Amino acid sequence: IGEPVPPQRVEIHKLRQGENLILGFSIGGGIDQDPSQNPFSEDKTDKGIYVTRVSEGGPAEIAGLQIGDKIMQVNGWDMTMVTHDQARKRLTKRSEEVVRLLVTRQSLQKAVQQSMLS
Amino acid sequence: MEDCDVHSAASILASVKEQEARFERLTRALEQERRHVALQLECAQQPVVGSSGMVGNGQPVPMAWQQLVLQEQSPGSQASLATMPEAPEVLEETVTVEEDPGTPTSHISIITSEDGTTRRTETKVTKTVKTVTTRTVRQVPLGPDGLPLLDGGSPLGPFADGPLDRHFLRGGGPAATLSRAYLSSRSGFPEGPEPRDGPNYGSLSRGLGGRPPHAGPLSMGLGDGCFTLPGRREAFPMGPEPGPTSGRSLPERFQAEPYGLEDDTRSLAADDEGAPDLEPEYGTVARRRPECGRGLRARAYEDTANDSGELMEERPPFPAATAPLAQPEQGSLGSLDRVVRRSPSVDSARKEPRWRDPELPEVLAMLRHPVDPVKANAAAYLQHLCFENEGIKRRVRQLRGLPLLVALLDHPRAEVRRRACGALRNLSYGRDTDNKAAIRDCGGVPALVRLLRAARDNEVRELVTGTLWNLSSYEPLKMVIIDHGLQTLTHEVIVPHSGWEREPNEDSKPRDAEWTTVFKNTSGCLRNVSSDGVEARRRLRECDGLVDALLHALQSAVGRKDTDNKSVENCVCIMRNLSYHVHKEVPGADRYQEAEPGPPGSAAGSQRRKRDDASCFGGKKAKEEWFHQGKKGGEMDQNFDTLDLPKRTGAAEGFELLYQPEVVRLYLSLLTESRNFNTLEAAAGALQNLSAGNWMVRNQWATYIRASVRKERGLPVLVELLQSETDKVVRAVAIALRNLSLDLRNKDLIGSYAMAELVRNLRNAQAPAHLGARLEEDTVVAILNTIHEIVSDSLDNARSLLQAQGVPTLVALVASSLSVREAKAASHVLQAVWSYKELRGALQRDGWTKARFQSASMAKGPKGALSPGCFDDSTLPLVDKNLDGEKSASRDVVPMDALGPDGYTTLERRERRALGSDSIGEASETELLKPDPGRKATPTGPSRPSVRLVDAVGDAKPQPVDSWV
Repeated sequence: IGEPVPPQRVEIHKLRQGENLILGFSIGGGIDQDPSQNPFSEDKTDKGIYVTRVSEGGPAEIAGLQIGDKIMQVNGWDMTMVTHDQARKRLTKRSEEVVRLLVTRQSLQKAVQQSMLS
Repeated sequence: MEDCDVHSAASILASVKEQEARFERLTRALEQERRHVALQLECAQQPVVGSSGMVGNGQPVPMAWQQLVLQEQSPGSQASLATMPEAPEVLEETVTVEEDPGTPTSHISIITSEDGTTRRTETKVTKTVKTVTTRTVRQVPLGPDGLPLLDGGSPLGPFADGPLDRHFLRGGGPAATLSRAYLSSRSGFPEGPEPRDGPNYGSLSRGLGGRPPHAGPLSMGLGDGCFTLPGRREAFPMGPEPGPTSGRSLPERFQAEPYGLEDDTRSLAADDEGAPDLEPEYGTVARRRPECGRGLRARAYEDTANDSGELMEERPPFPAATAPLAQPEQGSLGSLDRVVRRSPSVDSARKEPRWRDPELPEVLAMLRHPVDPVKANAAAYLQHLCFENEGIKRRVRQLRGLPLLVALLDHPRAEVRRRACGALRNLSYGRDTDNKAAIRDCGGVPALVRLLRAARDNEVRELVTGTLWNLSSYEPLKMVIIDHGLQTLTHEVIVPHSGWEREPNEDSKPRDAEWTTVFKNTSGCLRNVSSDGVEARRRLRECDGLVDALLHALQSAVGRKDTDNKSVENCVCIMRNLSYHVHKEVPGADRYQEAEPGPPGSAAGSQRRKRDDASCFGGKKAKEEWFHQGKKGGEMDQNFDTLDLPKRTGAAEGFELLYQPEVVRLYLSLLTESRNFNTLEAAAGALQNLSAGNWMVRNQWATYIRASVRKERGLPVLVELLQSETDKVVRAVAIALRNLSLDLRNKDLIGSYAMAELVRNLRNAQAPAHLGARLEEDTVVAILNTIHEIVSDSLDNARSLLQAQGVPTLVALVASSLSVREAKAASHVLQAVWSYKELRGALQRDGWTKARFQSASMAKGPKGALSPGCFDDSTLPLVDKNLDGEKSASRDVVPMDALGPDGYTTLERRERRALGSDSIGEASETELLKPDPGRKATPTGPSRPSVRLVDAVGDAKPQPVDSWV
């Protein structure tokens, strides 16, 4: 499994939908989830939070978030050792209109790996 | 003010004269003393030299003294200090700064003594500090004088010299001048007959020599400084005078200034001469010396030491204008000095040949003196007297001093409260528990807690929490502290300092913990009380915010890679203790008694019920097997995580955090990062606690934890720690591995990867006097039990043992160990090995005979343990062995999950052992552990797949959750 890649920052401005503020993506993973079923992780024991879907034209996509991104932090909070629900709550705080994510991107990881191999 | 000015102007003159006159007398007296001492020195050079350890015999006397002095200037040269006899009649008063040798960083030293780890959860605590005190001098009838002149008059001020002298020393006498007199005498020194240089010391004599023990480096440096300042004498005396004018007479000052010294500095600097540019360094040094940590102090010493040499040349940097009064720092030094030298002058003035220190009863009486500063000084002096002096501590108790001090904790004056608390801190330190009990008996604990709640001053909070830490090491006080102080300690200290916020501000980063002294003391106190037993654990677990805060603090420590400090150690130890028996003690646990049969509705479970009942281990295995069988074709590759982890409805909080999967990673991080052995041991112990237990029925937490450790790649971390040089770490890790091997997959992994390390440890254990690295009996037994556990029911693991050359090691252990327990545990392992018929051929080819595997156990084995068939039990629930009367065999075998009724701490175990009662287990455990005679060993050796120490990918499980956000 490749060397860690420098994480990147993604800032998402939530979109108001009726009562809710939405980010426009979905997450999978968490320490209470079965990591082996995570299609995005290289390491099948990785229980991190991953971006599983990104809604088209939504705030997340606009901000550049991609499917398969692993979320390391949300507004400074560690997301690598949280339950699925904790992650969800952290992302959906009503009081926050802006969410700053720190993500590692697998595609990048792969690119790096490949460049190292070749 | 005007009055004061006039008055002081006149009195300055008068006092200068008076001082000069006194100085004359003093000089004469000193000269005499010097001769006297010089003579003594000549005679006694040997001993002195010897004591200092660094002075050559051949050196001239003065030289010797000088060196001695030098040595004393370095902090920590306790030995030399200690050896210096304290001359009771020393001329000077002493200012003492003592420190605890143990803790380099804090002035309040806490000596922590620990017991063993698994065995000791307790830290012993502390000690404390020292104080700078002024000694009071006897002679004086207490005059109720409160003249402003007096108070303010002494530039010296404040505390140390001030009040005490003023009130005590000099009854109605020329109060104002007294202190002045000291000063002048002191500054006059340089002009005295004695030249200032090395020899000076020698000639200075006894007085000086005697002082160091108390005054230590401080006074030495100061003294030096003083001597070097000839010509300043006139100026100096003036210094004090202005003091009075400054209107500093307000008694309130007391509160502000911790020590007299401090005051001096100020009065000289700011008030008198307006030398605002006091050298900051000096200012602080002087001022902080008494208060600050050892590090600081050390620096101060150095400064002083350096300065002393070049004082003359380098110091005078003060502007001319200020010059005379000048030496602000000199002032502070002066005050010290003054203190030091005060006696002589007073002496001579009063024609008393000697000062004497006040008797203890007098000091205690002063605690009731109507004048607050007197109380404060008396308490401070008491603190000083009690520093590591068991005899004085006892006498204070016998003279009923403790209730007086406790009463002062509620005094309206902050200074008095602080001093009283400081004295209590020293009084409460130590192994002698009578003082602790006495403090409790007069309501000391609630009073301390009240003070903590009220105090905003950090020093007071340190003192209070330090005192509570001291008290908490005494068993009968633990519950008292919990009753009165748990909430306050948690909410006033633990939570705020941990960085944990109940409602975190989402926009800011989580706060880090602050490793303050207050936090360290408080966590140490809670660490101690957390070992008190089931009720204590319950109270701590349920204390709102405590577990959350501790966990947050630890996570913060891991995040910052700052995991070696004492506070972290304390926090982990608390967590470890609270994890003990958590499955039985958390609310609702009673519904899940271990005796409960296997998972409901499981046919397989009922089939195996009999075996479940056989022993806790057997039971666990059976259940885990059940799980395996519930999966396809008995595949061993279970994935408990998905099976067991109940869905949470909300974030875990409070005690639930103790056994959430998060903590596994936390403990593993600590095990990876920390270099603090106690922390390592506690973290391993916490995993041990969580992974033990029969609480799989209850949500299978333990099962889950065992799997989590594997999945978090914790096994390699643990195995690596088997190489630790620290006995107790090895022991805790070995026990944790044993518990973890209840998970069959872990068992395979541990058998494959840990066996070599385990055997290596055994081999080291046998190496005679192996670089002093011999393992303790408990550790050896723990390792043997772990080996037994992983070898039992696993042919592959038994093979690993053979490959690791474990057999010769075990045989040697059986044959040569002086410990019955070791020999017995080793023979059990051998029996287990022999029970595999498949291995006998190989063993015999290696030249082993059955006798080796059997006779050993025959000789020393427990009854009934001979036949391989019932063998697996022998190592297991040791508790039941004890019940069977086999005490010698299994008594101390490590408790997997059943340490005994309540204790996880060593302390308790130790006590139990001492009482010979450690065999008593809780009823439920006993029952559970009862061996079932009909039980057969069921070797479930899974055919060994190629295993990785790190867990393999698990089976596909329930649909993954996916949430839109």
